[in-house]
Amino acid sequence: MSTDPLKQRITMLRYRPWRGELRGPWSGVLAIARVSLGQMFRRKLFWGLFGFSALIFLFYFFGQYLGVFMQSQLTGETGTVRLGSGVGAVTVRPENMIQALTKTLKMNGSADTFANFIWFEGYILIIVLTLAGSVLVGNDFSHGSLPFYLSKPISRWHYMLGKCLAIGVFVNLMTTVPALLLFLQYGMVDEWSYYWDSFHLVVGILGYGLILTVSLSIILLAFATWLRKTVPMIMVWVSVFVLGRIVAKLIVDGLKFSPSWRLFDLWNDLYLMGASCLGIPLETMRPGPQPPFWQAWLVIGGLCAFCLLYLRRRIQAVEVVS
Amino acid sequence: MTENRMVFRGTQELEIESPLIIAPPKRLSPPPPTFVDDRPPVLLFEQVSKWYGPVIGVNQVTLELRSGITGLVGANGAGKSTLLRLATGQLKPQMGRVSVHGVDAWDWQAKRHVGYCPDVDVFYEEMSGRRFVLTMARLCGYDRREANRRTEEALEQVGMRDRADRKVRGYSKGMRQRIKLAQAILHDPDLIVLDEPLSGIDPVGRQEMLELFMKLASQNKCLLISSHELEELEKLTEHVAIMSRGRIAAVGTLQTIREMLNDHPTTIRIDLEQPRELGRLLIDSPDVVGLEMPSDRTLIVKAKNPKQFFRTFAQLVMEEDFAIERLEPLDDSTHAILGYLLGGSGKT
Repeated sequence: MSTDPLKQRITMLRYRPWRGELRGPWSGVLAIARVSLGQMFRRKLFWGLFGFSALIFLFYFFGQYLGVFMQSQLTGETGTVRLGSGVGAVTVRPENMIQALTKTLKMNGSADTFANFIWFEGYILIIVLTLAGSVLVGNDFSHGSLPFYLSKPISRWHYMLGKCLAIGVFVNLMTTVPALLLFLQYGMVDEWSYYWDSFHLVVGILGYGLILTVSLSIILLAFATWLRKTVPMIMVWVSVFVLGRIVAKLIVDGLKFSPSWRLFDLWNDLYLMGASCLGIPLETMRPGPQPPFWQAWLVIGGLCAFCLLYLRRRIQAVEVVS
Repeated sequence: MTENRMVFRGTQELEIESPLIIAPPKRLSPPPPTFVDDRPPVLLFEQVSKWYGPVIGVNQVTLELRSGITGLVGANGAGKSTLLRLATGQLKPQMGRVSVHGVDAWDWQAKRHVGYCPDVDVFYEEMSGRRFVLTMARLCGYDRREANRRTEEALEQVGMRDRADRKVRGYSKGMRQRIKLAQAILHDPDLIVLDEPLSGIDPVGRQEMLELFMKLASQNKCLLISSHELEELEKLTEHVAIMSRGRIAAVGTLQTIREMLNDHPTTIRIDLEQPRELGRLLIDSPDVVGLEMPSDRTLIVKAKNPKQFFRTFAQLVMEEDFAIERLEPLDDSTHAILGYLLGGSGKT
């Protein structure tokens, strides 16, 4: 045996034959998603935004509770209730509050409750996804980490699936999961029969969540692959979702053009798709008038197909030879 | 024992199995091959072409690699990185086929046999080296326990086990190289593709890395190393593939490639007591095209057809009983051969 310590060390080390079963590339998908989640969770900004989204959840949570509680406390008597004390005290009519909570804000455990809740969560979600896009995908391109992934026994589709899975976790963490919690809560504070009477809402919430997960992750992945850096990513992503809404509002509500112009508003398109899953009639949806459901499905479906084609071409770690 | 056999099919066909004529100085390479490997090649390029729009990356490349170390050299933009990316399945050829153990390199299953150490230095800066290698192990499909074990072994092999808990952000270039190398070898691949693996590593570390490459080669691994560190590459292997403008200009041992360059006479330095007498005898040889005597004990010979020349030379030395003190080919280095093949100084 060699006297050189390095040689000794190297000689002693060797790979022993491994008799285990290698997992397929799907385990790689999970590994990519896990790493991606870790990258996001260690950022304070993410937790701050997640806190904001939790505030919306708490608003709905206590709104539903208050609505049910007040309804249960009213016994047909009418009158006013004085809340607070001193100069800050306000006098409210319980009927008005119940009206505001259940009819205006729709905090009544109905399909509208969950559709509206997810609509409001969308404001925070869009910002979180902007951050996620640049951190999870953009960095892989700008830092050149893609070859590490693509040299391992996974295909580029597995790589994309891993990233989509991570994005899907964020989407569901801020939309589907709290919406399901609201469903559970309403059943507890109202009546147990709510669970089976409104079970179709669970399916609708899950369907809405699935739509958001699939479409947003694909669109975000394509945007992040295209833009890579955080600032351009924020600018374009927010422009698409905010500017699109302003333009759609201007054309439909201001110029009174066809409701189909509202399809420019991508978040509204997703809202329409979710509403179709939850069984909300088109006529009752706000802002109105809305384009038919199928048009929203077509626009988002077409956009996702385009993004997939772009991704297929892009995620190849192509070296440009000048 | 390693065996390195490469076949280049094209305008010229060359099969390298011949023993060395002159042993190069300070070579770390394993002894010459003693058996012929009949197994299918680890890496096979069959008439492969790849374009980037109007620019051609690699052009009609046919290459066959079995176990052992092969150096890949060439000027910037010659197509080395494209070749490596094709070999690791990151690029798909527009024409031809690249296969690893008979499986299309583009297929994820082929990547089980491939370890790739890219030349990029920046990756997950916030992650520790250990965590990064572990993630790569999980990507290979190992369960947690096995991934942990392989991570530790790979880190040990590259000498990073004690420093692996630091974040990558704080690593030097050499440490990053080692971590990259660890993730490339952790799944015990048959084909290890290394892009500039010695870049940024200190001399002691280089020696360790060279030892590691030699050890991997001795385990019948096929190593394809692209490097601009030609001197280090020469210590590792005699087998090189020289790329120029997307084509493989030459492939084989440095000596064999040198022999093929008949238009460029090889230069040999001979030190002995009677250089004038030896020169007078050598000048009659048809292979000698020039003689020079820079000092009283040195003769510089320019000869074409080196194999024939050395035969004649050996015969003369034996017959006339010359006491040769030193015999050294001056332009047998990779630099010189690259210079001949690619023009200029041969700097890559």
